[in-house]
Amino acid sequence: MQLEAIDRFRAEASAQQVLLHFSGELNGNLVATLSDTVRERLDDSAPDRRVARRVFSAFVEMAQNMLHYAPRGEGHHGPQGTLTVSRAADQFSVVACNRVRGDQISRVRFRVEAVRAMTLEEIKAAYRAQLRNEDHETEDTTSRGAGLGFLTLAREASQPIDYSIVPIAGEPDTAEFHLRAII
Amino acid sequence: MSLVRIPATKETPEVVFDPSKMSFHLSGESYPENAMAFYAPVRNQLESLLSAPAANDGMEAHFNLRYFNSSSTKLIRSLVGMLHRRAEEGARIVAHWYHDPDDDMMAEFGADLRDEFEALDFRLIEAESA
Repeated sequence: MQLEAIDRFRAEASAQQVLLHFSGELNGNLVATLSDTVRERLDDSAPDRRVARRVFSAFVEMAQNMLHYAPRGEGHHGPQGTLTVSRAADQFSVVACNRVRGDQISRVRFRVEAVRAMTLEEIKAAYRAQLRNEDHETEDTTSRGAGLGFLTLAREASQPIDYSIVPIAGEPDTAEFHLRAII
Repeated sequence: MSLVRIPATKETPEVVFDPSKMSFHLSGESYPENAMAFYAPVRNQLESLLSAPAANDGMEAHFNLRYFNSSSTKLIRSLVGMLHRRAEEGARIVAHWYHDPDDDMMAEFGADLRDEFEALDFRLIEAESA
């Protein structure tokens, strides 16, 4: 990269009040270290502990989601993606971008849309129901967690989580998935 | 069974099983990448403690968690469920659930457990920097 380009990159990150940006191949150790870093930086910059805890939680959910579900790029060992935590006035935003396999697109869309349509009370009720659902593992063999990830994100966020799924030119088998939580 | 202590890491809580006091402690962070792998041995140890004859005379459990991720959630609830089953068999089990006064989610989660597992003497405790 040209040195001038570095300066532009840095200036833009500063203007966008980026607390942390990561792009590339992820593994468990990296997610743990990034999570810890997010927490430290929030301790310095979040207006109160309640907000800091919510932003941290949203980050962990998104990073672990990526670790579990994002496809491995060609020639890579781990899943690939981008994670960004930034601030705008009193709000924080946590954004995850990664690819999603074509056969998973409708599943992801369905799950995010379902959570987006819920009120906070409905989110809490769905969370309680899923918490007590003992059949999740047998009902949902794709899930590698408790089926609570998107519900947890929605609880932490102060407005409906938003997302986009964008096709990639020349690659019909995958799409680009962007997910954002505002806290 | 003798004292078992699993030290805390950045992403996993400290776990203590103390048969001399008949107590169980879970404290710190819980966001391991693979929560099932972490909690499977914890379940086994808790089962041993609960099956000790001394459990009939009572047991104390302390949940002092700062944060847990979604995949730890069900596993933590299921530990409370194990305590509850033993309490239903007649053992007096006191469960302490500590939460930071600022952490409404941790408080709500504890209140839900208290309402669900009625056979436990379940105590919600506000504590700074839990």
